[in-house]
Amino acid sequence: MPHDVTMPQLGMAQDAGKIVAWLKKPGERVVAGEALFEVETDKATMEVEAQAAGFLTEVRAAEGEDVPVGRVIARISETPQEAASASAAPVVSATGPGSSGPIPEGRAVTMPQLGMAQDTGIVVAWHVAPGDKVAEGDVLFEVETDKATMEVPASAAGYVAALLAGEGEEVPVGETVAILSDRMPDAPMRRTRAEAGGTPLVVQPAAPAPAAPAPAAAPPATAPAIVRPASTVLPASAPQGRILASPKARRLALERGIDMARLVASGVSQPVHARDVEAFIAPASAPASHRLAAGTLRDGFTPFATWAAETAGITDATALLAGFAAASLRAAMPATGPLCIAVTGRGADRVYPDPDDRLGRTDPAASPMLPALILRDLRGSRITAIEMGTDRAPVLMVGGRGDALTVTLVWADGQLLADAALALVDGFAGRLEEPLRHLLL
Amino acid sequence: MTSMKATPEPQADRSNAERYLRMYRQMVRIRTFEEQANQLYLTARMPGLTHMYSGEEAVAVGICEALTDTDRITSTHRGHGHCVAKGAEFRSMFCELLGKAEGYCRGKGGSMHIADQSHGNLGANAIVGGSMGIATGSALRAKLFGQDDVTVCFFGDGATAQGLLYEVMNMAALWKLPVIYACENNGYSEYTKTAEIAAGSLTARAEAFGIEAFRVDGQDVLAVNELAERLVARARRGEGPFFIELETYRYHGHHVGDINRDYYRSKEEETLWKTERDPIIRMRAWLVEQGIAAEAEIEAMNAQIRKDAEDAVAYAEAAPYPDPSEVDMHVFTDVLHATRIGA
Amino acid sequence: MREITLSQAVNEALAEEMRRDPSVFILGEDVAEAGTPFKVLSGLVQEFGKDRVIDTPISEPGFMGLAVGAAMTGARPVVDIMFGDFLFLIMDQLCNQAAKTHYMSGGKLNVPLVVRTNLGATRRSAAQHSQSLQALVAHIPGLKVALPSSAYEAKGLLKTAIRDNNPVVIFEDKLMYQDKAPVPEEEYLIPFGQANVKREGRDITLIATSSMVQVAMKAAEALASSGISAEVIDPRTIVPLDEATLLASVKKTSRAIVIDEGHQSYGVTAEIASRLNEKAFYHLDAPVLRMGAMDVPVPFSPVLEDLTVPTPDRVAEAARRLCAGEMIHAA
Repeated sequence: MPHDVTMPQLGMAQDAGKIVAWLKKPGERVVAGEALFEVETDKATMEVEAQAAGFLTEVRAAEGEDVPVGRVIARISETPQEAASASAAPVVSATGPGSSGPIPEGRAVTMPQLGMAQDTGIVVAWHVAPGDKVAEGDVLFEVETDKATMEVPASAAGYVAALLAGEGEEVPVGETVAILSDRMPDAPMRRTRAEAGGTPLVVQPAAPAPAAPAPAAAPPATAPAIVRPASTVLPASAPQGRILASPKARRLALERGIDMARLVASGVSQPVHARDVEAFIAPASAPASHRLAAGTLRDGFTPFATWAAETAGITDATALLAGFAAASLRAAMPATGPLCIAVTGRGADRVYPDPDDRLGRTDPAASPMLPALILRDLRGSRITAIEMGTDRAPVLMVGGRGDALTVTLVWADGQLLADAALALVDGFAGRLEEPLRHLLL
Repeated sequence: MTSMKATPEPQADRSNAERYLRMYRQMVRIRTFEEQANQLYLTARMPGLTHMYSGEEAVAVGICEALTDTDRITSTHRGHGHCVAKGAEFRSMFCELLGKAEGYCRGKGGSMHIADQSHGNLGANAIVGGSMGIATGSALRAKLFGQDDVTVCFFGDGATAQGLLYEVMNMAALWKLPVIYACENNGYSEYTKTAEIAAGSLTARAEAFGIEAFRVDGQDVLAVNELAERLVARARRGEGPFFIELETYRYHGHHVGDINRDYYRSKEEETLWKTERDPIIRMRAWLVEQGIAAEAEIEAMNAQIRKDAEDAVAYAEAAPYPDPSEVDMHVFTDVLHATRIGA
Repeated sequence: MREITLSQAVNEALAEEMRRDPSVFILGEDVAEAGTPFKVLSGLVQEFGKDRVIDTPISEPGFMGLAVGAAMTGARPVVDIMFGDFLFLIMDQLCNQAAKTHYMSGGKLNVPLVVRTNLGATRRSAAQHSQSLQALVAHIPGLKVALPSSAYEAKGLLKTAIRDNNPVVIFEDKLMYQDKAPVPEEEYLIPFGQANVKREGRDITLIATSSMVQVAMKAAEALASSGISAEVIDPRTIVPLDEATLLASVKKTSRAIVIDEGHQSYGVTAEIASRLNEKAFYHLDAPVLRMGAMDVPVPFSPVLEDLTVPTPDRVAEAARRLCAGEMIHAA
């Protein structure tokens, strides 16, 4: 059975050896233990002994060639004849699955092992083209490894029969990247690995990834038990730059949607701690509320609404009421722009935008809007006195039965100034008593 | 280097034919194993390094053939020979050298820490002299427990430079422990001649503690075995400890990558030992001459051993690696996976 | 409950275990008649004989190696290393052999031995007899490390160590041998990997080992009068380490100081602080501080020596500043 002759591992750091000389010719008889060839390593030239007896056949590496450790370079066979399929220039196996087109015969030029930890190399550039004649030592291509870009020369003279990898492609060590033939090739060709169907490797940056910082068996960090609010409030970079805060403080701020910059701007000193965040979000006590009440001598609104309906076709009395409220508000606060009045009570629950504009003829808003005033129409109900908390806007309540009406305004600190409140209530009550006043005020 | 034929060859005791054949067979097994291991390294199919025992077979075999399975040995970085001689089998050894799950140590020890507890091999050791304390401690245990097993401590001439040797020999002598210190003097401490690293006499070192010391031709398996049988019997009776210096030779370099050796060892010297003092050639000739086995028989046995070894290599190469989950197992006896404690 | 010294507690533990299991034996220097220079083992050779309490020559590597071999072949030796500083002498046998044998043999060989040694400075014994080297052995996979802080822990942990099938290194505080603590008459064992909350608190966690537990307790008392409530935890073993208890405490208090008598740098405190950082990061309101012995060889002169170890005052001061939100190390 033929015995493979391989380039031996001769030193700890050695990945390839250069064949200095063959001491036996192809077909020559070989005795086990006899010196077969000489190899040059980092340190010295050494003889390599035959590990079996027989005849030297299928010599695949020439003198002067660098051969990676482990590569089969010849065989010791039972007979001197070469295997039928072998020729002086051994056939090169097809490189990738589904290679397109016939690959010419010739000597394989492989991606060399250029460093101990290197498994692949990137073909940076070809210095030859298919069909070129090359002399021994001519640079065929440049390879990029972890450390540097290196030139790969031809180990013997010949012709470029095929180029099998594209520039920029990453090729595993030992794979054939080109074929050199002894005679001018009939059909020199070139293709890329990608075209051949080999897994195209993305060209990667030269430096290998450093060892992962986390050990492979490190347990996953327990997920921090916080819920991120939908709108993540990231600590904005303060005008002075990075804000110093403890991890707990940052987490609390994140959970509660507090902007760190706002916190610091409000006077909290750095580094910000958890108690600073806790103190910041604790709400102050509920804002103070205010109340004002007025009464009318008679209900002038109801007959007016009836007349408006008969004469002017104004059917939405609630719009009329809202209009009076809006007008009163505008009179109390002349700088007010567009506004809307929300009306509730007596079956109504609407918001009217600017109802004083086309008095009585305003349609309620289709979509919800933020009102400037909430009008509670409690006329005809039996409620006589109300103590309700503040709302999102000042609340104007109209109540009463029969002849007299009462108007009550409740508002929170900051919602109305005192003068405006007085004017609002007085003006609204006045309109209810004497609707014609609306024309004048 | 004078060629020695130290003692006239003994006449074979016919009733011991089996034993003689077994000794020969074990030596061939060791030589064959090492050849395969060496090839695995050269063809870049074995991870790491290993240290060849070729040439020293008679030392391990001569001594281990005098021991039972309950006797213990401790080994060195050059441990394949001791391992085979103490009863290990090829498959599990090759699996261990290749880091496979079926290795003696589930792939976790490799060549330098190979141990085979079932046959009393307490393990190879990558620290020079590292197992001297362990061997002596095993003997201490035997004495304390009133057990009659003997422990043999294999170490090289280079290890006599380790202070530990003198500490343990002192205690072994003080307490008369059943341990035999077997110094495999192969003439070299890594890349330096023994004469340049060991002053005075090796046996005198033991004698300084009052330990009986012997010298024997390590290439003569019968002589080694005869001496070992005597000393093991005496140690079992409580007359230990003992020290043996065995003169031997390693054919390969210090480790498998040590191929350029000319600068510290001449090719002529190597050839001389390989041709004129080879323990296997010598034993073979004796077996034939004594009529214990015919050449053809021996040839067939050798061929079978070679085949066994090749089969074992193929088996080991195809065998699976340990599952990645084993990486943090066996750190503690009572924790399944060490790196998940307190996670 | 009766009170006995740490020395008596160790003695009892050994005697009980040796009565219980004939494969347990002691070896070391001056362990027999002398009972060691600390007199901890007095009386044992009288009960168990010279075959089980073995005086060795001054050969630490040698008798440590013997212990490894004896343990590998069926015995359960307890090795007495007279001073923790001498650990350096036995490192090959302890760390290359004992620690790795179970692993290197694929789980087939066990090394059930115990190394009993000590730690602690301020005894005016100078640099080579005062080191606390627990970090050294805790760093080696395959070794368990126990740090008793009182007579109670010493007895319970030593008994567990002897019954453990792995190599264990147990450090006794050499300055505490005569200190008494309540120790039950009935048999008890303290499992490894179980920390002990010695004092509950709300504001800051003080994690302390061995000799430093009393330091932390005194600091906690001083802090109480400043209105700071400190929780003191004794891990008892650092390999295995009871992370869960430490983490729960830090999540409660959000502040921690780790105190150990090994050197400040590259030690036990760094490891524990690092784990708190990794696993309780979002609960920390202050950096986790380390307090260890000063990074100097232990000086002889008493005035100098006393400067090099953490004291209750220094611990309390650090705790106060953390609680005040002070940036102790300028960013």
